[in-house]
Amino acid sequence: MKGALMVALALVLLSIEAVLVRTFGFEVTRIDVTVVIIVFMAVRSTTIEGAITAFTVDYLLDVFTGRPSGLFPALGVLVFLLARAAAQLLDGKSRLGFALFSAGATVGHSLAAFLLTWLTSKNADGRVLSLTAVPVQALLTGVTAALLYPLLAKIEPGERVEGGRFV
Amino acid sequence: MFSFLNRYREPLLVGALIIVPLISFLSRGGRGREPNFIDRAVLALSAPLQSALTFAFTGVSSIVDGYVALRGAHEDATQCHGRLAEAQAELNSLTEAKAENQRLKEALNFVERASGPSITARVIGLNATPQFQSFRINRGEDDGVRVGMPVVTPKGVVGQVVRAVGSSADVMVMLDPQSRIGALVQRSRVRGTVVGAGDGQKMLLDFVRREDDITDGDVVVTAGTDGIFPRGLVVGSVKGVSRPTVGLFLIGQIEPAVDLARVEEVLILPVTELSAMRAVEGAR
Repeated sequence: MKGALMVALALVLLSIEAVLVRTFGFEVTRIDVTVVIIVFMAVRSTTIEGAITAFTVDYLLDVFTGRPSGLFPALGVLVFLLARAAAQLLDGKSRLGFALFSAGATVGHSLAAFLLTWLTSKNADGRVLSLTAVPVQALLTGVTAALLYPLLAKIEPGERVEGGRFV
Repeated sequence: MFSFLNRYREPLLVGALIIVPLISFLSRGGRGREPNFIDRAVLALSAPLQSALTFAFTGVSSIVDGYVALRGAHEDATQCHGRLAEAQAELNSLTEAKAENQRLKEALNFVERASGPSITARVIGLNATPQFQSFRINRGEDDGVRVGMPVVTPKGVVGQVVRAVGSSADVMVMLDPQSRIGALVQRSRVRGTVVGAGDGQKMLLDFVRREDDITDGDVVVTAGTDGIFPRGLVVGSVKGVSRPTVGLFLIGQIEPAVDLARVEEVLILPVTELSAMRAVEGAR
């Protein structure tokens, strides 16, 4: 149920982003809204539920590209696993930690997407040009993660201890 | 066997979620697949949402623009009257040229004809990843839109349809690195291929020999040799030509004639008999 809500939220956020990018133009860098949800699931959910949600939200992203190829669903699950492993070592449950986690995951997600596209496309030189946008993309995604944090925490509150902090 | 699957169900499932789409991606060489029923359901859900959001955003921005436009409207109107008179004069000469062109085509028994009426569509969203330069329009298969159809505006070329479902379609703009358009320089008739640079702003003119006559400001039009775009549509203008010390070809940068990032309405041209014929040949 929570996974389904996350997928519905991803659909709405991707639609909003598509319209916003239309307003500001192609040269504007994108925000990885799906990565925000994937990272949130990585630090809050079980492995199976999180992996399926990560797969599904990045499947939506794949469909939104106009040429779905299977690249993003695979990357979504991969980023989910990496974020989950990192969450064992670092705090990703606080608002700041979650924002930093999302920014870092965006860098990994974008670089992996560029690398795989570059490896498989004979005309990938142009795509490498937009690598320069990755730092801004990571920053914007981090800010978006901080803004979305209260909404996401309402959908998946996690377990609470007496102090009110998530565990 | 069952106990093995039960014991390792978590790593097996997660592994499958990575490996299956990755194999699909690698086996296609990064090319997109045909939309399946899940894709169609997602697009059917998101297209009305995007249309509604676009309508809301456009409404707000048109109110702001309307207020701003009122200032200096008189000067604009005066300028427009002048330009209209110039355009009318140009139109008259073009009408004459068109009639002559028609006569010559008939004399040559030219076979390139449109196979249906053009379709007007509204842009409802740009795609959410910077790797692919495409946007979505509010017309799809139900309206007669098909994959491969050229998309233009009165100012020039926009791109071509890469996916069409029920009530929406995706258009790859010519800025995308996978876009290829057969083109020629209007002034010197030099031929080349326009390729998207991938930076969201410009294209490159490829396969043009170093010694060919190209300068800044030259208008580039479609050559009609790619079997997709009709001949003579404006692609853009040359903004910078460099001739490297080695190699056969020069490097030309092209600024699109259409502001592709802010295009709101587009025209989808019917497939010509010539391009339909080439599509059939390509499928064989």
